[in-house]
Amino acid sequence: MEFSSLYERLFYQSLRIRLIEEKVIDLYPSDKIQSPVHLSIGQEAVAVGICQALLITDLFFSTYRGHAFYLAKGGNLRAMFAELYGKATGCCGGKGGSMHLAAPEVGLMGASAIVSSTIPHGVGAALASKRLGKDQVIVTAFGDGATDEGVYHESLNFAALHQLPVIFLFENNGLAVHSRMQDRHAFQVLDHVRTYGIPTSVIPEGYDFCKVFEQFQPILNQVRRQAGPQFVEVNTFRYKEHVGVNDDFSAGYRSRSELDAWMRNDPLIHDRRLVEKFSPPIHAEIDDAIEFAENSPWPGREELLTDVI
Amino acid sequence: MVPDILSTPNPGPSGSENIITYREALWNSMDSALANHANVMILGQGVDDHKGIFGSTSGLAQKYGRERVFDTPLAEEGIAGVAIGAALNGLYPITTHIRVDFSLLAMNQVINLAAKYKYMFGGRFHVPMLIRMVIGRSWGQGAQHSQSLQSLFSHIPGLVVIMPASAQSILRCYDYAVSSHPGPVIAIEHRLMYDLKYRQEPAGSTTQASPFTSYKVRSGNDITIVATSIMVMEALRAADYLAQASGIQCEVIDLNCISHPDKRLILDSLSKTGKLLVADTSWPAYGVCAEVCRFVCEENPALLKAPAVSLGMQLSSCPTAKSLEDLFYPNLHDLSHAIARLVTGKQDHGIPLPDETSFADVYKRFKGPF
Repeated sequence: MEFSSLYERLFYQSLRIRLIEEKVIDLYPSDKIQSPVHLSIGQEAVAVGICQALLITDLFFSTYRGHAFYLAKGGNLRAMFAELYGKATGCCGGKGGSMHLAAPEVGLMGASAIVSSTIPHGVGAALASKRLGKDQVIVTAFGDGATDEGVYHESLNFAALHQLPVIFLFENNGLAVHSRMQDRHAFQVLDHVRTYGIPTSVIPEGYDFCKVFEQFQPILNQVRRQAGPQFVEVNTFRYKEHVGVNDDFSAGYRSRSELDAWMRNDPLIHDRRLVEKFSPPIHAEIDDAIEFAENSPWPGREELLTDVI
Repeated sequence: MVPDILSTPNPGPSGSENIITYREALWNSMDSALANHANVMILGQGVDDHKGIFGSTSGLAQKYGRERVFDTPLAEEGIAGVAIGAALNGLYPITTHIRVDFSLLAMNQVINLAAKYKYMFGGRFHVPMLIRMVIGRSWGQGAQHSQSLQSLFSHIPGLVVIMPASAQSILRCYDYAVSSHPGPVIAIEHRLMYDLKYRQEPAGSTTQASPFTSYKVRSGNDITIVATSIMVMEALRAADYLAQASGIQCEVIDLNCISHPDKRLILDSLSKTGKLLVADTSWPAYGVCAEVCRFVCEENPALLKAPAVSLGMQLSSCPTAKSLEDLFYPNLHDLSHAIARLVTGKQDHGIPLPDETSFADVYKRFKGPF
């Protein structure tokens, strides 16, 4: 695919993620995907802007809301759909599912369903990068719910203490499942991070992949040069329910007007020209991946007890 | 009354063996891991201080540098997670918990992540790491410094759990963990054994492929005692006592690898003795005692000519007062009595029993060699 600008390239990648997840929504009632899904719709630009700046050798630790990160880091689409289908050809042989996508060949180092649990992994991988002279930068992503957890604080401290090449990517959609940050925090996240001596940045326009990329690139360069940790907050908005494929504005914990405000800025909605230009090849790729998944075998009994220890 | 732990299975040529303490075996294992593998690092609270995890890491920070052997914040979950991430990116981390009880703070990372990283991602990742934990016991360690949590970890698929009961097991298992095993290994060490001396087998005296298995450490025809950790020492002491006092011949099996025991070794022994006593360092319910009885019952309950007997801690938290603590743990008297009853089939067996009632006192005085 040829692109005339960075905007087009990143638009294509973001649109690709959205159309893939919209296909997941279409498929979900068929029960072909028998696993919880946490959709990234509305948050695609965060993953795309960040991963555009990363090298393939840089490592990324993801969350259970990880389709966008997997795809943006370069994970294979056929292997993703096969994994969602629970097929042997999936990126984890059908043993992971939506919440545990991995693509170590492109540095996507797995995702955990336990909130905050991969944050220290990013720190540890950064320790290995520094000790072994690998010149990698590690990104560890988490949402605002993770900032409540003890291990998040432990990880910030360790990374700062050892001056490790890790970027804490705070993907802030304002909600831990259905709870708002002001109801959970007696502290300000960024103020608190700075008490560890970790520099912080905020990218408020998380819908704008170009702005995410442009603001993230110099931060990444700084970590690569000087090796110390950085903390980056990107504000974003989850369009769908926490888990599942539906809207949940009728539940009352957030209002439709919040969504409308974000959607007014969403290029994937408003740039109809590019949507129309890029949708056909993306749909063709999705159809191919689904055909691959549908035609792939299930993992057999011999797989049940392999790779245990 | 000094059992010869190395009389089986592979005694070395006479005169070729060395005497080594449990602590020295630990130190040697840590030293050779660092010397032979450039990617090994040891991290844990106090690994570089003047006490050095009871001497098992002393001087290693000076010898190999503070980038490879270093102190950590008191952040058990964070450090376990850092170790996993480091392992995923090429290091071999060795972490330490000065008491097993502190590892409970790292449980999320150990159980939800380390144990599952390989399987959950279809074998795409390996998390090679060694987690050392020390059981405290005696002299008022109390409820939170004395637990023996091997069954908790062994319950979880994905973890290898070992409880070395000899210097030789440490030397074999730790080297194998670092050199050859691609996943997380939990090693539960017993503080009371650190000063005990063991005969060290000469190099190359074993041909076993993986040391993550069980060992027969004493042969006998009358009863099979399956034991863990320091209870292996106790079983050997009881066996020697009863051999002299009554001629009872105990077969003693060191379970060694709690998560992956050699079941065949135990079943073969039972087919000879027909009597099973399980002596564990922890609570019998839902633990090693229960598990050994489970697989014997499932594999071949007809092997048992008498009901199996379990011996472990009393079903309470560990009390601090010595009068209660001595009752809480089984002692040589209790163990000998249980063996004699099981072998003779009589409650009133008439075999004179040792008058030793405090296990801990013995280990303060007695230094081996085993």
